[in-house]
Amino acid sequence: MSSGVEHLLQVLFNGLASGAVYALFALGYTLVFSVLGVINFAQGALFTLGAYFTYLLIGGAVGSNGALAGFQLPLALPFWLALLLAGAGAAGMGLLVEATAFAPLRQRRAEPLLFLISSLGAGVVIVNGVQLLMGAESYSIPAGSLGRLPAAVLIGGAQVRTVQLLLMAVAAVVLVVLTLWLEGSRLGKALQAVSEDPVTARLLGIDAGAMIRLAFALSGFLAGVAGGLVALSVSIAGPYFGIGFGLKGLGVLVLGGLGSVPGAMLGGLVVGLAEALVPAEFSGYKDGVAYGFLFLVLLLRPRGLLGKATVSKV
Amino acid sequence: MTPAPPGPAPLLALRGLTIRYGAIEALSNLDLDIHSGELVALLGANGAGKSTALRAISRLVDAAAGTVEWKGRPLAALSTEATVRLGIGHCPEGRRVLARQSVATNLELGAFLRRDTKAIQTDLDWCYSLFPRLADRRRQLAGSLSGGEQQMLAIARSLMGRPEVLMLDEPSLGLAPRLVEDLMAVLRDLHSQGLTILLVEQNALAALAIADRGVVLEAGSVRLRGSATALLSDDHLRASYLGS
Repeated sequence: MSSGVEHLLQVLFNGLASGAVYALFALGYTLVFSVLGVINFAQGALFTLGAYFTYLLIGGAVGSNGALAGFQLPLALPFWLALLLAGAGAAGMGLLVEATAFAPLRQRRAEPLLFLISSLGAGVVIVNGVQLLMGAESYSIPAGSLGRLPAAVLIGGAQVRTVQLLLMAVAAVVLVVLTLWLEGSRLGKALQAVSEDPVTARLLGIDAGAMIRLAFALSGFLAGVAGGLVALSVSIAGPYFGIGFGLKGLGVLVLGGLGSVPGAMLGGLVVGLAEALVPAEFSGYKDGVAYGFLFLVLLLRPRGLLGKATVSKV
Repeated sequence: MTPAPPGPAPLLALRGLTIRYGAIEALSNLDLDIHSGELVALLGANGAGKSTALRAISRLVDAAAGTVEWKGRPLAALSTEATVRLGIGHCPEGRRVLARQSVATNLELGAFLRRDTKAIQTDLDWCYSLFPRLADRRRQLAGSLSGGEQQMLAIARSLMGRPEVLMLDEPSLGLAPRLVEDLMAVLRDLHSQGLTILLVEQNALAALAIADRGVVLEAGSVRLRGSATALLSDDHLRASYLGS
């Protein structure tokens, strides 16, 4: 096989792997957006939390800068278990964000813009808290954390890191499970009913508040898991690294079409691929390329790739 | 004023119910008893406060004064969902079907609080026999149904919750006269099977033709009340609402 094809495959896999992270992220935004019609800006902070939780749960030690300097949990869980628990922790924090930054505003029927600000505030507080406790330094998860799995596999002549394949697999599984759950289960249908018409849903006996909390917990879980996976595949670049991912996830959400689950997935993959196509020597301009591409697509398709015709919330 | 029908305590009792939207008093001092097995029509022009009364019973709006009691128990502290659980079914105005869901899913969600899978299936079959056109369209998205079909779906969905009292908000609105007739026939059948119904209508003639008694609201206050037969021969009602 020619090296050109190999290179292209490599680019493709890199793009799909980072795209999978963006997609997981955008799915979380989508869940909250579909029930409330607002964006949860604290999503990036939950991603940060998931990454740090994972790091601590596998037995990682805190560096010398934070208030917790030198602290280490007296356990060293396997990566998968740590990842699931980190997701659960982020889900719990998602519920707390709902209770503090969303529920009080909702009761007062506040403007959507206020939710953006209050959730951004909650996110910054969380990230700052992490910085206070763990310092601003970067952390990484040892490459051997996947146990007996090989570090990389050869696919069509391209070296694909196992963690990249895992990211893609997790995103694919989440997409399928989430779609089946939303379309097929009693609670999934109830969530969709709340998203379409909260008043009618309540008149059917559906507890709209509980459905909203469920959406926050699920989206927190997705953010936390994505954070843990990125910590493993790249590293934790510091407490604020989730915010950058959060912004890109937001772009992905808009690109895919607000409120569409497959759209969030497709948007993630497209942005990931667009970034991966940037030659290595220009990698500093990756974000510019990704957002430039986003801008162009939205000029041509203002509703995003798979956006619904009109989503009007009164 | 006719005396309240004799018998046990009312299922639903509204006492001095007053609702304000900002400075506007939408409902003033409404007293109304609904007894088990009755079909009561709540009549009046657009904006008379009829829907507001239903919204207050379902706890979608708070009362500024007065109480709503269900079997002697005040509802004021409950959520909307909790009133549904008690057995208060509310079929809202304007055919609020879930347009992005199939007919079957809409009906299924009507039984959201129920766990008796077998009885739900029986009720589903019953709803489809009540409204055969829904059976033909069960896989279609509710948003693709005609106005009349959506109204049927909204009513069938309320029935799927097995309410003890069914409150219907303007079910005849926008329907062709023929469909109004069909609809009222279905409501009469449900009533004869023992279902308690509170029917909000602008179409006073159609509603009184099947009701036991009626209450006429004007600008938030009771203007008239009495048995359906008495109201149908009332001069004021005939002049204002029956167009004769």
